[in-house]
Amino acid sequence: MTKPDQPLRETEQSAGAVIIKRAAIGVGGGTVLIFLTGMIAGYSTGAIDRAGTSAVDVAMLSGMIMALLAVGYAIWRFWPRLSAEPVAPRIKSARIIMILMGIMGVPLGVLLGLSDDGPASIFSNGPANPVVAIVAIGLWLIPVPALTWLWWQRVDEHEATAYRDGAFIAVHGYMFIAPAWWMATRAGWLPQQDPIIVLLVISVIWTIVWFAKRYL
Amino acid sequence: MKNRLKVLRAERDWSQADLALRLDVSRQAVNAIETGKHDPSLPLAFRIARLFDMSIEEIFHDEA
Repeated sequence: MTKPDQPLRETEQSAGAVIIKRAAIGVGGGTVLIFLTGMIAGYSTGAIDRAGTSAVDVAMLSGMIMALLAVGYAIWRFWPRLSAEPVAPRIKSARIIMILMGIMGVPLGVLLGLSDDGPASIFSNGPANPVVAIVAIGLWLIPVPALTWLWWQRVDEHEATAYRDGAFIAVHGYMFIAPAWWMATRAGWLPQQDPIIVLLVISVIWTIVWFAKRYL
Repeated sequence: MKNRLKVLRAERDWSQADLALRLDVSRQAVNAIETGKHDPSLPLAFRIARLFDMSIEEIFHDEA
């Protein structure tokens, strides 16, 4: 005889809500963390360049650091957790790698904030300090691909399919967006193509498809 | 492709997470297979069949 399936029902009923809350908190909180990190780095650089740190600078930086810590604590505090469900070791390690990649965003945010355009420099196309550029490129080309490869080795086939489907649609998005923008620029309707904006749009498409395939 | 995974799992009083742990996949993968959103690869189908001590055809069947 089939036993009552109460624990299963509880898990299944809460899973959808947990996923949506995790996505909202992860994306929203993560974006705020990266921006705050960039702001701290940019403001610190500005204060150092002015060759003197005033009480206002100290107060501003203290406030930003407090805000950063508060956001970090809030993410940890309000992160929705399913009731201690068992997780396969390979899935656990894939999650740890994802977290490591998220943590990698912090030094990247700091480095991008250290370029010459101040706090708004994360998405700037302005000149960057060569030392900052070397370190940022190094981070982007060595640990990030290595972690991505390790993660790819650990994910299950369902996640791999979601990731591949996202990549497939994102590449097609690029094939439609890039030439259309290029032609629109030549016709004088749009400004010069910004590779970072295109990258962000493609990344968003990839993420949406991956999320939908994975969780919906 | 339809399957009897949910029934077989319930007969053993396993949650999706329990089954996922035994198959070394995520709970989302089990949910996607049960709801027919993801067709498992042949190696995973064999793992599922071995776990329930059944043939693949006894668990999965074509809708055609």
